Amino acid sequence: MAKIFKMGSILAVFCVLAAGSLAYVYMLTQPRINANAGLALEQARKEVLPGGQGQAIPVTVTGYHGPISMMVGIDNGGKVSGVKIISQKETAGLGADIVKPKFLKQFIGKDAKSKLEVKQDIDAITGASISSRAVCQGVKDALEKFQPGNN
Amino acid sequence: MLWKSFNQGIIKENPVLRLMIGLCPTLAVSNSATNALGMSVAVAFVLICSNWVVALIRKITPDEIRIPIFIIVISTFVTISDYVMQAYYPDLYAQLGVFVPLIVVNCIILGRAEAFAYRNPALNSVLDGVGMSLGFALALVSIGVVREILGAGSLFGVQLFPPAAAATIMVLPPGAFITIACLMAALNKYENKVQ
Repeated sequence: MAKIFKMGSILAVFCVLAAGSLAYVYMLTQPRINANAGLALEQARKEVLPGGQGQAIPVTVTGYHGPISMMVGIDNGGKVSGVKIISQKETAGLGADIVKPKFLKQFIGKDAKSKLEVKQDIDAITGASISSRAVCQGVKDALEKFQPGNN
Repeated sequence: MLWKSFNQGIIKENPVLRLMIGLCPTLAVSNSATNALGMSVAVAFVLICSNWVVALIRKITPDEIRIPIFIIVISTFVTISDYVMQAYYPDLYAQLGVFVPLIVVNCIILGRAEAFAYRNPALNSVLDGVGMSLGFALALVSIGVVREILGAGSLFGVQLFPPAAAATIMVLPPGAFITIACLMAALNKYENKVQ
């Protein structure tokens, strides 16, 4: 019996030390991490509205490996002016290619009347149809949320 | 002894091509040279730090609970590298963020803690970590270079020939198995010749 308590307390000491050092690193890094996230969001807003006019709508959809968070810019005429992926956890080398401009620029000029379907008006990324479809859904969601004349 | 600690991980006991450990992340992230290099850097940091700490605490670590203690040490370093990268290198994190949590399940790190760092002094263990990291990087980057050239027609993201001429299968999972098998065969042939 005594041995179990001895082992348990040694393990507990290690856990406390590990938790303590993690809490310390977290405290040091968290303000910067939050600031970076805010900056990235602001940057994304500017990038998806090249003309400065219209609305930047943040949406989150479910991809192949969890949430894909993206920013969709829609100009005053209701057309998509830009799409940027803010965070995603898709498969590296396949689904993660949704962040590439080559894929994202296909959405520019689409509006609420566009089909926004893979294999119809959007070319999917090879080997990543689920991730590609998720981005299409995100753009559709943003177009639905868009309210004309509301800057 | 010190030189041997460093040297053996590179070719003679190469973790991927010789010991055949850490194959899961190897297969998963070797689809491009950039991904392979990023994973190698992250693994090197965690492996060297965890080997060092495990060697330092080996005399006060009871045998019965050594594995849970190794896991605590490793996951602490993985989380620290995740936070630091997010805070100070957000661009790098955007590229590599998905691989960092994968390091916890990389059995090279637990394997070296158990097989080497737990039985050797701190300096040797750090050198073993450096050597093993180099061996891992060598294997991973070679696989990544081959797969990226054949599968996407590019190298480190620079297009060499049109992607239409590339064999997409090489960046998909089967390409990883094919490439790693060919590399192992080549290394075996080379070793046989040397002997």
